[in-house]
Amino acid sequence: MEVKEWIRGAVLVAQRDLSRFWRNIYWLAGQVAMNIADLVIFAVIFRGLVNPAFIPDYIRFITPGILCLAIFISAFSIGREVGIELRREVTQYLVSLPVTRGALVAGRIMGGVLRGFLYQAGFVILAVVLMSMPSVDKWILILTSSFLLALTMSSLSITLSTLTRDFNLQAAIRSLVYFIFFFVSNVFYPEKALAMRLGSAAPIAYYSPMSMAVNLYRFGFNYTTSVDVLFNLAGLIAWATLSLLFAYKVYIRNLTR
Amino acid sequence: MKNPDLRNNLKIILLVASWDLMKLKNQKVFLAMRIAWFTLQVLVFARAISYIVSQGILAYTGGVDYYYFYLLGIYTSLLYSTSISRGYVVADEFDDGIVEYHLSLPIKRSLFAVGRVLGCSLSTIIFTLPMMAVVYAILKVSNFLSILLSLIFALLFSIGIVGFVLLLVFAVRSADLTDILVGAIDALLVRLSTVFYPLPVIEATGIAPYYVAALMNPISHLSDFLRVLVFPEYYLVLRQGIVPTIVYMVAFSMGFLVIAIEYYERKLEAGGWK
Repeated sequence: MEVKEWIRGAVLVAQRDLSRFWRNIYWLAGQVAMNIADLVIFAVIFRGLVNPAFIPDYIRFITPGILCLAIFISAFSIGREVGIELRREVTQYLVSLPVTRGALVAGRIMGGVLRGFLYQAGFVILAVVLMSMPSVDKWILILTSSFLLALTMSSLSITLSTLTRDFNLQAAIRSLVYFIFFFVSNVFYPEKALAMRLGSAAPIAYYSPMSMAVNLYRFGFNYTTSVDVLFNLAGLIAWATLSLLFAYKVYIRNLTR
Repeated sequence: MKNPDLRNNLKIILLVASWDLMKLKNQKVFLAMRIAWFTLQVLVFARAISYIVSQGILAYTGGVDYYYFYLLGIYTSLLYSTSISRGYVVADEFDDGIVEYHLSLPIKRSLFAVGRVLGCSLSTIIFTLPMMAVVYAILKVSNFLSILLSLIFALLFSIGIVGFVLLLVFAVRSADLTDILVGAIDALLVRLSTVFYPLPVIEATGIAPYYVAALMNPISHLSDFLRVLVFPEYYLVLRQGIVPTIVYMVAFSMGFLVIAIEYYERKLEAGGWK
């Protein structure tokens, strides 16, 4: 009975977060437009500038990266709201709800994951069109990667947003996380480019959750076959588990202090 | 100064501007983070992305290496984003009720508006100085005149952007909606500029609205102006020369400053911002 109540509480919180996602329709439309604009700009301009010796078709190369970006944006939207709640002291209301703290955190993270899935869905279809149709086992791999990445990003976002009440600082933290995850990864450029520019520090990029997810997407959508699926999947599981634990501890501590 | 009124007015403007400058003292952590991510962008992203760009780009940049071309672009986009966030602070003040306090000050509304715009712009310049230093150190810029002109035009640019954000804040009157709108405009304007690609490359795509947007974009004008200052050979890329860019920058800045003052003065009366 207690477990049932716990799950009910978490689902209610997740539902609330999901319904709030649609309320920011202009923000959502703006984000989708930006992602599509990125793809178009990459397709129309950058594709022609890239040396084909490194990347023969940049649009196919970057499409899995856009999938990661979609997860990041949507899952991190939870963090943006958590930050606003903290500044406006809505958190007092949240902690007074008749749900356990664990269910509250689980619900919020679940809300972020669902947002990630929904937001990414359109871009997944676009990836099928631009790249190729994955087989059934690859679909499972793609969906698992999306789930793990959304779980990681959602957990990180709600935790990081509670570190400060300052709006600008919250935005700065989000941006710093974005830059670290995306720039120190093989989302925008191949590992070879990183190796040439970063030298012995380049292997750091292998451990980025974005690199891991983008590798799995590239494998899933048949862009490449030379991917260590086990390493990347295990890495994503490790990231998701650690972020989840981190979120559980820090989010509650910051809400109640 | 012989005119006591003018001296008084300047004193008031500086006093109001110092309000924004003083806020910088409390933003050391924020500044450190900005420097960290900017350094990451310059040393990792820019270097890696320029590695995969074909050498054919040199034909469009007047022979300027893509890495160097891009550095001045990201400095401009940073200046733009910082100006936006400085202006956005005003939206937060409406929410926090600080405006009521400001209105109770014995200061003329127009002077107050000039002081706020100037304060936001000056704090933007101070805030982005370390990033400018990083870029200019990589580019080995040591010419005093180039640095001075860069700072002057960066300030003009920032005044225009802050004025624009103030207009937006008054027009929208909601911190949440302003946040969303400003974010969207921020992302869109940077994409539709010459931050990443030179104008001839954009023109070659044949998409006229994209080309026109990039041509009219203040971010394009400042980044191209800085490129000409640092790399005189980039002048060849600007088909119309540098004068239209200078005129544009001055008009953009002064135009938005005047409109912002007018709007600010009018909207502040009788709770017009609510």
